[in-house]
Amino acid sequence: MTSPSPAPSIAPHTVGEAMLPRPYRVSSRRMETGDTVTLEMVPDDGKGLAFLPGQFTMVYVFGIGEVPLSISGTPRDPGTLVHTVRSVGAVTRAIVALEAGDPIGVRGPYGTGWPVMEAAGRDVLLVAGGIGLAPLRPVLYEVMANRDRYEAVSLVYGSRSPADLLFDDELHTWRSRFDMEIEVTVDRSDAGWFGDVGMVTGLLPRVPFDPANTIAMLCGPEIMMKVVAGELGAEGLGAEAIYVSLERNMKCAIGFCGHCQFGPDFLCRDGPVVPYSRVADRLRVTGL
Amino acid sequence: MNLEALRSSSPLLTKLSNTELAFFESVSQEVHLSSGEVLFEEGSQADNFFIISQGKVGLEITTPGKPPMIIQTLGPGDLVGLSWFFPPYRWNWHARAMADTSLVAFDAVAVRRKCEENRDLALEVLGVVASELAARLHRTRIQLLDLYQAP
Repeated sequence: MTSPSPAPSIAPHTVGEAMLPRPYRVSSRRMETGDTVTLEMVPDDGKGLAFLPGQFTMVYVFGIGEVPLSISGTPRDPGTLVHTVRSVGAVTRAIVALEAGDPIGVRGPYGTGWPVMEAAGRDVLLVAGGIGLAPLRPVLYEVMANRDRYEAVSLVYGSRSPADLLFDDELHTWRSRFDMEIEVTVDRSDAGWFGDVGMVTGLLPRVPFDPANTIAMLCGPEIMMKVVAGELGAEGLGAEAIYVSLERNMKCAIGFCGHCQFGPDFLCRDGPVVPYSRVADRLRVTGL
Repeated sequence: MNLEALRSSSPLLTKLSNTELAFFESVSQEVHLSSGEVLFEEGSQADNFFIISQGKVGLEITTPGKPPMIIQTLGPGDLVGLSWFFPPYRWNWHARAMADTSLVAFDAVAVRRKCEENRDLALEVLGVVASELAARLHRTRIQLLDLYQAP
């Protein structure tokens, strides 16, 4: 087996640099669903942003505010920053309304990445729910770019309805590949839907993975991740081989302000991607 | 028909002893449906139950003048039909093939009769059906939370 290519190098930040947004400009905009867009952004200074799949940036809409957003593009094109954003509040509403040419500020990238390198030589199981497919898309790009380095690769994706599915065209393209398994399900079907209906856990028996040699990466609502992790555990997959992406109220993004504290971790610095074994107990504590 | 190939993927068949499996084989037959064909209709007598060997079955609820709404889909290894085990033995949903689908159909009347005679077998079957019901209830509860809606 060949060894995986080295991770992109991430330049260290000073605190001052880390808090200063770099000017970017929206280069393209694609509506994914009724409330979600994918924006491509390019830096004004032309200097690209190396990142690891799973990392996030702080995106600043001037005069409105800043939010953490997971990167949804490929690490192989650091010159283009891609975010898939759902309109859920004042800042994300403003981001979703941005058009090509509009300015925006970007800090980062920050946080931990998915264990793409560690998964080499193993089965890779991705389970996404709703907007949670966006932070996992860079993993798919990386795994597909180095497909021979991995054993069975599967994506199980759950969405609220067919109209809420992200990356529809790419899902079709990925499904047409013979070297990965894609299973998609919705909570509520409509008249034109011929796919699966039900929770993502119902599809887990359909995808191939060896519990003794699998890395699972889960991204979606925490309840969904807990349930999926529980079912994978029942199949024999150890909690240390399951990774989840957790979100809290990230503000500074460099582990200073404490807004995103989750037990002993600051999720902006120690997360968002963490082994399930580290947080499983905390995810049962209502006070955290 | 020979159920050995299906055994590892079906929780029901996995639990059966070789003798019990032989009985189930004796009351089973293969069924093939084209995509769109109805397997059973809501309200009709639940005299069979099924295990999917390949393809997909959708459980639907229908109302006059509206297209059917799929509430759950089932795939290879899944048990189709639970109402056959409980009086009044009538289907609660429509079941329709959503792709070309092969299933093993079991004579539910014969299995119920055998369960009356053999309480150990009845407990095995009840355990599988109850486990399946619990799993479906669990998933349904999670679905009811509507987790993917915007916060």
